[in-house]
Amino acid sequence: MTQPVPAVPPATAATYVFAVCRHVDEDVLPQLPGITTAPVRVLPFERLHAVVQEVPAADADRRSWTERLSDPRELERCVRAHHQVVTAVAAHGPAAPMALATLYNSEERARQALGADAARFHTVLDRVDGRVEWGVKVYVSSASAATKAGRTAVPTRVPAGPPPSGAGRAYLERVRGTHRAREDSRRAALLTAKETDAVLRGLAVAARRLRLQDQQLTDCHRAQVLNGAYLVDESQAAQFTEAVATLRERTGALIELSGPWVPYSFAGEDGLHGER
Amino acid sequence: MTGPRFDVDPDTVGRDLLALVLTVVELLRQLMERQAIRRVEQGDLSDEQVERIGVTLMMLEQRMTELCDQHGLRPEDLNLDLGPLGTLLPRD
Repeated sequence: MTQPVPAVPPATAATYVFAVCRHVDEDVLPQLPGITTAPVRVLPFERLHAVVQEVPAADADRRSWTERLSDPRELERCVRAHHQVVTAVAAHGPAAPMALATLYNSEERARQALGADAARFHTVLDRVDGRVEWGVKVYVSSASAATKAGRTAVPTRVPAGPPPSGAGRAYLERVRGTHRAREDSRRAALLTAKETDAVLRGLAVAARRLRLQDQQLTDCHRAQVLNGAYLVDESQAAQFTEAVATLRERTGALIELSGPWVPYSFAGEDGLHGER
Repeated sequence: MTGPRFDVDPDTVGRDLLALVLTVVELLRQLMERQAIRRVEQGDLSDEQVERIGVTLMMLEQRMTELCDQHGLRPEDLNLDLGPLGTLLPRD
């Protein structure tokens, strides 16, 4: 192909977007460090405001960001800085948080791309206005160490000579009992997750069941059976936390409640459907 | 994934290989146990057959425990994390 490639003006800085809102309290911005040393500022588009920061173009390509975010310390710094800006902005009105490392090649590109999504941002902002996200994780304790890895609890005796008659059948019965108990506890765990989710969904405007977190990341002796995010009216906060306390009592499961958060889980495409 | 790995480290390769072999043996043992229980539940085995299968599986279980003890392996070491598929052997 010999078509001339349109000359792209060399952009000196890329644009990092933290969040989109209807109105930004500009007084809070100077106190926010953000990701780089450039000031955190407002980029208006389509009756909306994006909270942005300039990032040197050299740092903005995909490779250097992948490198940056694979360093745990740098990743933590970026996540904290991103979250700090989002939280500060959301404290003064509804905000649609952007994903970490949302970058555009130039301010003009950012304005175009965000503008094309304006209708979606309006929907999201309507949805999260006056609402917060609560995270609920339910754990059930794994069976005792004796049945770890599916092994049956057998008395640790080493019988000399042939085993007494009936020992073989008794052993099979014991194994069967262990299998049944495991099945029962699995069923009970799923039921607890389902019940908890159903009760909390009733109090929420929208809810999502997120992917369960790796057991080994959390704790070997308990299994996560629910990792839910609930979008709840600010006025319903007390009812929601109360419902969690009641569920804790009724099910005996370990239920972790975190929040209120800026509704990260309800700002994307998925959040529009409120389901997944 | 953060599951137990079988890194090829000269100091631990022997022990890791043993753990891997015992994991496979344990998997087969548990499969046999399940199959035996299914047959017993179907009721198409004689009392004598049930007794013999039970004793055999019991001895196999004891021998596994002894082998693990001898090599300082815990029951939970005999498992593989298959990522999104969960673990090879039931964990709880």
